[in-house]
Amino acid sequence: MTSATNSSIAEISREEITKRLDDPTLVIVDVLPAESYAAAHIPGARSLPLAEIEPHARELLSDRDADIAVYCAKFT
Amino acid sequence: VGLLRDLGYTHVRHYRGGLAGWRDAGNRVESRDGAPEPIVEPTPALGPHARRPPAAVRRPWGAVLLDLIERQSPARLFALWLSVILLSAGVYWLAGLSEHHGLRADGRRVETSLAGFATAVYFSFVTATSIGYGDVVPVGGVRALAIAEAVSGLLVFGALVAKFVSRRQDELVREIHRVTFEERLDRVQTNLHLVLSELQAIAAMCGDESVHLERVRARLESAALVFASELRAIHGLLYRPQWAAEETVLGAILASLAGSFGALADALACLPPSLARTPTLDGALRSSARLAREICGECVPRAYAPALTVWMDRISEMASRIG
Repeated sequence: MTSATNSSIAEISREEITKRLDDPTLVIVDVLPAESYAAAHIPGARSLPLAEIEPHARELLSDRDADIAVYCAKFT
Repeated sequence: VGLLRDLGYTHVRHYRGGLAGWRDAGNRVESRDGAPEPIVEPTPALGPHARRPPAAVRRPWGAVLLDLIERQSPARLFALWLSVILLSAGVYWLAGLSEHHGLRADGRRVETSLAGFATAVYFSFVTATSIGYGDVVPVGGVRALAIAEAVSGLLVFGALVAKFVSRRQDELVREIHRVTFEERLDRVQTNLHLVLSELQAIAAMCGDESVHLERVRARLESAALVFASELRAIHGLLYRPQWAAEETVLGAILASLAGSFGALADALACLPPSLARTPTLDGALRSSARLAREICGECVPRAYAPALTVWMDRISEMASRIG
């Protein structure tokens, strides 16, 4: 479901995430709602639901240059 | 991703597979309380390496034992059952070396010969399955072993049977969840259609001078409330990573969402601002706009989104004008 509109967004592969699960320099962010995060998330991921990105991103992700991997459900 | 980048984060990348892709690949997921996952999790996590909640309180040994048995696979339980029987058979057989212990058949001592071993295995099975024909009887110390074997054999066998039953049950529960999900999707589609026709009907009353505006507002209010609750349902369904909606279904839902937003905007446009400014309508519109923004965020296929964002912008504009 890739279209031209989002081809500029960099992607990260599952393999890389798997490999760097224990690597503190990769921050994994779960943008699903908090209930979904509570039920299941990728190990080590932080919860940042879509609606809270704007107000709370700065508290949760202090380093703007950090390597960040974002995921949601599947719909892409 | 776009949102984060707008906030100044430079190295943001998107994992396209999402939680569903992560699970499908058989990777481990975590839950906040660390409890074992509900049935949606495929079997590996139920295996011997399943994560258990930290034992903060001392649990009774019975529960610990049951848990230990529960965690084994059927094959391992069967192997355990068999080895209990064969080990016991070996002990019965070797006990025959002694004058006062071992097995008696027809009142005679069972010898430590090959035939004697066959008798010991036979007795062991008859005991472990609690059949107890009584043609071979234990004498002396092995009586205690016979009792212990009967109890533990039944326990393990019972666990094995329960395992098969619950396996089937898990499948059924999963199936029920899937059907429920599809039914909810269907219902959402139907409800959305009704909301759309209602909103269009309201919008059509617009130019009609004979219609009382108060009544138009009441209808619009109730339609907006239903619409907001439908949006909430859609939001909940789409954010259920384990059940991905089919693309055609999702497309249909988003299309009627767009239609409803259009009709809602039309209906709102014909009400004078003084009438449209009610807390109920306001709240419904605001939560609709928020939910719509989330639904149309990055978790919905981009191909559908452009058509929707137009409506979304329009409705947020409308909501902000009212609020």
